Amino acid sequence: MSLHRFILKRLLSIIPILFGVSVITFGLVYLTPGDPVDQMVALNPHVSPSDEATLRAQYGLDRPAWEQYLLWMSNVLTGDFGQVYSSGRDVSSVVLQRLPETIVLGLFGWIFALVIAIPAGIYAAVNKDQLGDTVSRFLALSGISIPNFWLGLMLILIFSLILGLFPVLPPSREPLYHPRMLWYLLLPGVTIGTAAAASIMRVMRTSMAEELNKEYVTAARAKGLPERQIVLKHVLRNSLISVVTLAATLTASIVAGSVVVEVVFNWPGLGREFIMAINGREMNLIMAITLFTGFFVIIANLIADILYAVLDPRIRYE
Amino acid sequence: MSEKSYFDGATRRRTLQAMGAASVVSVTGLAGCSDDDSGNGNGNGNGNGNGNGEPEEVSFPLEVQLETNADNSDRVEMVELVAASLEDTGYFETNVETFEFNDFVARILNPEYGDRGHIGCVGLSGTFNPESFCNALHHSGNIGQCCNMSGVSDPELDDMMDSARFGIEVSQDPDLRRERYDEIWHYLAEESYSSIANFSVEDAIMNNSVHGFNGWPFNEGLLSFALYSPTENQVTWMDDDADPRETDLSDVQEGGTLRVGVVENPDSFDPPYSSDTTSTFVQSLIFEQLVTSDLEGNVYPWLAESYEIVDVQDVDRADYEEYMISVAADEEGAIDTTEQIIVVHPDDDPVGDDEVRVLTPEEAADAVADGVFGMRIQYELHEGVTFHNGEELTAENVVRSYEYYENSNVSAQTFDSVLHAEADDEYTVSVYAQVPDAEAERELPGVYILSTEQLDEIEADDDLDRGDIDPREDLTPIGTGPYTLEEFSDQQFAEYEKYDDYWVEEMGVDTIPWFDGPAEFPDGPVIDEIELEFIPDDATRSGALQNDEVDLTYGLATATLDDFDASDDFIVDIVEAGAYDYFQTPLNVEPWDDKRLRQAFNHLIPREVIVEEVFNGYRNPAWTDIPELARGLGTADYDALEAEIRPTNEYDPERAVELIEEVIADHGYESTV
Repeated sequence: MSLHRFILKRLLSIIPILFGVSVITFGLVYLTPGDPVDQMVALNPHVSPSDEATLRAQYGLDRPAWEQYLLWMSNVLTGDFGQVYSSGRDVSSVVLQRLPETIVLGLFGWIFALVIAIPAGIYAAVNKDQLGDTVSRFLALSGISIPNFWLGLMLILIFSLILGLFPVLPPSREPLYHPRMLWYLLLPGVTIGTAAAASIMRVMRTSMAEELNKEYVTAARAKGLPERQIVLKHVLRNSLISVVTLAATLTASIVAGSVVVEVVFNWPGLGREFIMAINGREMNLIMAITLFTGFFVIIANLIADILYAVLDPRIRYE
Repeated sequence: MSEKSYFDGATRRRTLQAMGAASVVSVTGLAGCSDDDSGNGNGNGNGNGNGNGEPEEVSFPLEVQLETNADNSDRVEMVELVAASLEDTGYFETNVETFEFNDFVARILNPEYGDRGHIGCVGLSGTFNPESFCNALHHSGNIGQCCNMSGVSDPELDDMMDSARFGIEVSQDPDLRRERYDEIWHYLAEESYSSIANFSVEDAIMNNSVHGFNGWPFNEGLLSFALYSPTENQVTWMDDDADPRETDLSDVQEGGTLRVGVVENPDSFDPPYSSDTTSTFVQSLIFEQLVTSDLEGNVYPWLAESYEIVDVQDVDRADYEEYMISVAADEEGAIDTTEQIIVVHPDDDPVGDDEVRVLTPEEAADAVADGVFGMRIQYELHEGVTFHNGEELTAENVVRSYEYYENSNVSAQTFDSVLHAEADDEYTVSVYAQVPDAEAERELPGVYILSTEQLDEIEADDDLDRGDIDPREDLTPIGTGPYTLEEFSDQQFAEYEKYDDYWVEEMGVDTIPWFDGPAEFPDGPVIDEIELEFIPDDATRSGALQNDEVDLTYGLATATLDDFDASDDFIVDIVEAGAYDYFQTPLNVEPWDDKRLRQAFNHLIPREVIVEEVFNGYRNPAWTDIPELARGLGTADYDALEAEIRPTNEYDPERAVELIEEVIADHGYESTV
């Protein structure tokens, strides 16, 4: 019962958080020099200042910031996210079209990160301070330090151009669920997941090593339990809590990473759309994408909180 | 790349108004500038007047700030080279400041920018129209607007530029026009208001399957022009076996697929509802215009079988006064009407006045009916041209297409020159210009012709708006062009197929009166399918070409071009284009009001070094203000012009120092050099 209440409370808290996100985003975009009309007109000598003013009035960009915000807000509350200025398309249809692409890519990267990081972390913790541990720590540090775009370009260079194993462009004629997509997703997925894998692996290693020093482990060993069972059944579960927290937080960084990775791999997701939206000062699109991603990050954190209770029944949400 | 700097001809609305101090003040006022800079802007800036209110003493070494936009690293590097060159003389202490693009644009378009005393560097894109290399930079009507940033306000020059384009004589005599432009280039070389540093080139990189491809100075027309252009006897075909370096027209093969890596996703397939070059690029396969062009910018009838300038009258924009209606204008200058504004009365100022007199389409039609117009060009359409839906092209399509351009994203440039379009009979259309205009043959027909079916559909269907001729709005664009759009996936790809009943193929290219190409020249494009892949990232696009996922791409970084050029597997095609970088010195601020200092600055731009070091040779030094592509219309004799003007643009620090010393001596400026 209390868990239900907790979830309900957290769900309700999404509203003020998203409100805050929208105010901050709106403020930041508003303070950035230039607006969509500047972008459309730019250095076009045919457009007189009067033409520009007429355009601004048409889009309501001549009104004070608070009025623009309130107008936007009232529209959003009725489910209308507005239009993309440059093309006149509905923002919600653009976001809905791009969203699955980013979810697939993000999910792939995230799963890749977990699949690599958890076993590697366990291995490192069990073989603490031996060669394998040092190597994996070195790799993890590299993984965190290498910038996404560079890693992406190098993977393309090595695996696509030199070895010819992958296409440079995504197989855009195939639907997202096509098996060829899975093959293609390897490179961008690895790119997006590497940094996350590295941080998860480090946390996994630390928390597991710490857990391995606890008395119940000594007790289990004294009892004669096989080491494998101790590690995988008892220690792993206890040391996963900090990993779950991190994995939830990393959702945000995977979303952020998708911006760069999607550009490098020409992946038609929200991240690439976001870059174009920012370049074009497409206020409505920027706001909508920020709200959507904000929503997902919050949900990921909520799921993490629920998982705590599953992993450690002693945790109660009062 | 993301920088939108376009510029396809035409000039200011107020061009024909008499220029003088009074009108300069009104133009300045129009741009939202108050009266606190009234000390500037009059006079031609080349006397010794104290252009600037700042009482600071001029002393050498002179402190000067050079400014440009930060996102273009080549340009920043170029500005730093020029700054270093200034410093080397010992007479300048420079500081290079860079700004985010939007910030920089807002900064230089501020009418007061010229009074700050900085040297701005901007990149613009010119066209076949010679005007695009002088007007935007120097016409007083472009102060506070693109891109007379230093506030050049020279009535004599304004007159020269206006009379090189407008007026009865020049609109009928291309030679006179060339002479007038020659005078302008000489005048500008003497005054050195701006220093154009270089002209861009357009690159196209392709693999060995692509044959016969020739580039085009503007990438919006790159593909359609290269695929098939009878004006240049130009056709592109695919052949995996032969070496493209050793084939000619007699080896043309039909069929195949051309895959192109395109630099951006198109905003829209609806012609007037997009202004990005990529949109024009994707539309140009589907839609056609009344005329076409060759590589020198000469105009040839296309959908029109022929055209004729039937009437030129001595009319200026004030002559429409009796047809104009009054509408309200707010403080910012926004005009309160939903109609397309075709002409604003030259004496009215939307920012300063509460009401302005304007001409909208309805009154424009009245004026034309009464015989008030500047020019009339009559187009005789080909009979039997069909749209992709089978509909036949008639005069009605043309007239309604012009109407469809009203209040669109490109209406400002369209209705800069167009007054009205009217059907004379089923296959004859007259398009009227506002004033006698030497650019009319190119400017007036710049409209893509749309199908009646789709125009009707948009009018009738409440769910459809203007701008919805786009697969993303479930309306597949229909034109008369050689290709039909088969599939489009936003941000990913567009697939085209050859249109079976393409009119040139139906009629035969030999029936086009001006065509004089060889007998084997095909009657239409020969490639069956075109696939466009939208790949914004340069490195990815280059990778896709190397990995044989596209056959052709363009707009790659100059450093990559050398590698492709060195490889036997690829061909790099380079053609001189119209974009240019220029510097403007603050001529209204002492000591820059002395033209000798501006000339000295010009001599300190190491144009050749810039091209080699900054652009890897993929640009051309600007020895005159006019690039190769605009030569046909912009000078009587290019070689003579270059011989005369090049010496003023050569890198020559010694001459620069002489000039600076003269300036210091004549004005008694302090100098510790």
